[in-house]
Amino acid sequence: MLDSSSTVLASNSAALLSRRAARAEQPCFHCGNANPPGTQWTAVFDGADRQFCCGGCLAIAQTIRAAGLTAFYARRTAPAARPGSAEDWLGYDAAGETAGWIVRVDADLRETSLLLEGIQCAACAWLNEEYLKRQAGVVAVSVNLATRRALVRWDSRATRLSAVLRAIAAIGYRAYPYDPKRREALAKRERRALLTRTAVALLAMMQVMMFALPGYLSADGVEPQFQALLGWASLVLTLPVVLYSAAPFFRRALRDLRLMRMGMDVPVALGVGGAFVASAWATITANGVVYYDSVTMFVALLLCGRYVELRARQKAGEALEHVAPELPATAERLTAYPRELTTDVVAAVALQTGDVVRVASGAVVPADGEVVDGRSSVEERILTGESWPRTTAPGDPVLAGSINRDSPLIVRVRKAGPATALAQIARLAERAANERPRLAKLADRAAAWFVATLLLIALATAIGWWLTDPTQTLAVTFAVLVVSCPCALSLATPTALAAAVGALGRSGVLVVRGHALEALARARHVVFDKTGTLTTGDIRLINVVALGSHDRDACIAIASALEQGSTHPIARALSGHWASPTVDAVTAVLGSGVEGLIDGRRYRFGRPQWVQELHGRAPPDVNDVAPAATAVALADESGWLGWFAFGDALRPGVRALVDDLSSQGLALTLLSGDRATTAASVARSAGIAQVQGDARPEDKRAFIAGLQQGGVSVAMVGDGVNDAAALAQADVSLSLGSASDLARWTSDVVLLGDDIGRIAGALAIARRTRHIILQNIAWALAYNAVAIPLAVSGALTPLAAAVGMSASSLLVVANALRLGRDAAWAPDRRSDVVTAQLGSGGATS
Amino acid sequence: MEILYLLIPLSVVLAFLIGGAFWWSVKSGQFDDLEGPAHRIIADDDSPP
Repeated sequence: MLDSSSTVLASNSAALLSRRAARAEQPCFHCGNANPPGTQWTAVFDGADRQFCCGGCLAIAQTIRAAGLTAFYARRTAPAARPGSAEDWLGYDAAGETAGWIVRVDADLRETSLLLEGIQCAACAWLNEEYLKRQAGVVAVSVNLATRRALVRWDSRATRLSAVLRAIAAIGYRAYPYDPKRREALAKRERRALLTRTAVALLAMMQVMMFALPGYLSADGVEPQFQALLGWASLVLTLPVVLYSAAPFFRRALRDLRLMRMGMDVPVALGVGGAFVASAWATITANGVVYYDSVTMFVALLLCGRYVELRARQKAGEALEHVAPELPATAERLTAYPRELTTDVVAAVALQTGDVVRVASGAVVPADGEVVDGRSSVEERILTGESWPRTTAPGDPVLAGSINRDSPLIVRVRKAGPATALAQIARLAERAANERPRLAKLADRAAAWFVATLLLIALATAIGWWLTDPTQTLAVTFAVLVVSCPCALSLATPTALAAAVGALGRSGVLVVRGHALEALARARHVVFDKTGTLTTGDIRLINVVALGSHDRDACIAIASALEQGSTHPIARALSGHWASPTVDAVTAVLGSGVEGLIDGRRYRFGRPQWVQELHGRAPPDVNDVAPAATAVALADESGWLGWFAFGDALRPGVRALVDDLSSQGLALTLLSGDRATTAASVARSAGIAQVQGDARPEDKRAFIAGLQQGGVSVAMVGDGVNDAAALAQADVSLSLGSASDLARWTSDVVLLGDDIGRIAGALAIARRTRHIILQNIAWALAYNAVAIPLAVSGALTPLAAAVGMSASSLLVVANALRLGRDAAWAPDRRSDVVTAQLGSGGATS
Repeated sequence: MEILYLLIPLSVVLAFLIGGAFWWSVKSGQFDDLEGPAHRIIADDDSPP
């Protein structure tokens, strides 16, 4: 099955869709479902007339044949999954190119990110990787187990996206180009299926226990005719548990065996299957012992654990499903520019190089390009982290994702869709996330050893008892398999993680990726971004120095009067201030400032050099006012009046957080894309000693990589798309809920709301979680060390083994749930330490 | 004790009925949101959210 790509289709006779009526009741050739009566979807395949249930199945079968993979139908052991609809598959080829899922790497290479449904374990990831690699035209595949994403790169001359999707479907998985809405539906399906399986097992467990009770309670045994009746009733109830509830265990165990590897599911499947078959045989022949109660209890408890884990994992992810695209969905294209200014609305992804678009004031720029008409200022915070707008004039470049602040711009598109800088940063981050080394591998390998050893012990036990006391062989072997079920071991980590994730989630800290807590507990160095992370990202008036005849308040009054009616951030920063005099003849000079008349006197408010032109006096010595902030001067024709400092304000709680983290022995660094002086000033007021300004996204990533090379585990707290690469590089990344959506997507932990102080709490919980995981693993190992010898010696009945296993698992779960109950940290503790903003005094900055 | 020949099969049938009812309730989405309805009933406002 794995090398079907090498198979060449023998018969290539053209025989396509014909509208013949169906003759016999065949199942659908592709998916195996019943065909609707008189199906019109038929085609000749392998020299025989085949019927299909729908156009989707037929289309897929034909594409598979076209790709020379018909051998799939001969080699498959089960029918393929039925596709949702025909468009869902074939439409991806064309839509992928326009919607930007498919990325052109060069002339022939294409790349896409796929969300894989049905990935259960490392084996699945491995299987998908290997199978896809063997497909003709597929160049590279990388499957991320934690995020269940596959990064696939292929040669467009040899294959297509739809063929890749089908290849994945052929081995029993499904793949979708990533789409949050689809992911939500997927999560719901997964949750419902597991919930039903668990409920069936629990229900059967209770009833089967009821039937088993007489056997345990009566001293001299149940009368044979009732024993048989109870046996048959239990058999009927256990059947759905084994065939339906435990089906996933069997499926995964089979796959593990086929791949010659040892998973946790192998002993589970062996134990459940063996005990059930032996019990059924005993019931049918009315001779022997039955273990229905142990079987149902075993399956029910296992599924309970899995459900709790799944639920916690999904809950954490749910809040992230509402990620809105950063780019506008539509753009106003000027079809006949410059002759006419008529616009038509097109999808932003459909823009092409050379198109001319109009960007309304306040709108997001839809593509990278060059301004051809209009003067305005654009805010590129999402791209650069810089909160100050940049003025643009014809000829200046603008980047997709930035916001046009002041007036409409006409932009000629240079790069659109996936070619934009924004999309490239996004992909960079995604690739970094996909290529992260999988820590989980180690745990899997350890489990595989454990399972292999366990199976050997079970086998040795079976042989030993077969030689000494054949009647006890089955009971003892089953007891060994059940008692040592690596449940406690396999529950030890996920339940503790789930409980911690739940506790954090309730207090507004979302853990998005499984490894985040583990990495948080190990983190030794915390790197902060500045704009929007340590600071609020809003521009505020920090300080005013009066230089002339007017006092401070009068200066502010004049300045806010001049800025009235402007949408510039400075105007917004001043808008909360005093009632103002009326102004005449206001002119705004873009990139410089405003000029106006108040009571007949001419004032200028803006860039100092420009203001100086009004009176020509030397600038005052006011550098100590606020070296880090942006200086704006106010003057009239006779001289300087006031010196204003505007800047970003520190987030409340930053000081407390920094003190807290420092006292925990963590090293702290501030990395910023802003000017070095600004960064240094913010670092000083936050209490962070190590600081680096003027850092480009690549510099940030490199800085973190440098720390990691020194063996330090790094946590990165960031915001903004330009941080995405750094966030992905860090061992664990955190972002604030107000951060841009992409950063949220890339980061492992999201703090909802603006309380940055929660980071300290998250670190504390992470460390407690690690502690509890270690406790759990220690318990599980100790339990096995005692229970396995007991079981091997035959001292345990299968039921006692099942009870022991369950008790052990419950203990582990209860221990883990402690994390959720006593939230050992109070997020509110910090909010009353609303501290040291840069404040009104110049001293702090 | 012959009543057991009726009661035990009956309990099995009941278990299957309950299982079926549960399957239906899961399928119809009653377990998709276990928290929302609890809050919704306290909400004073009768109009849909």
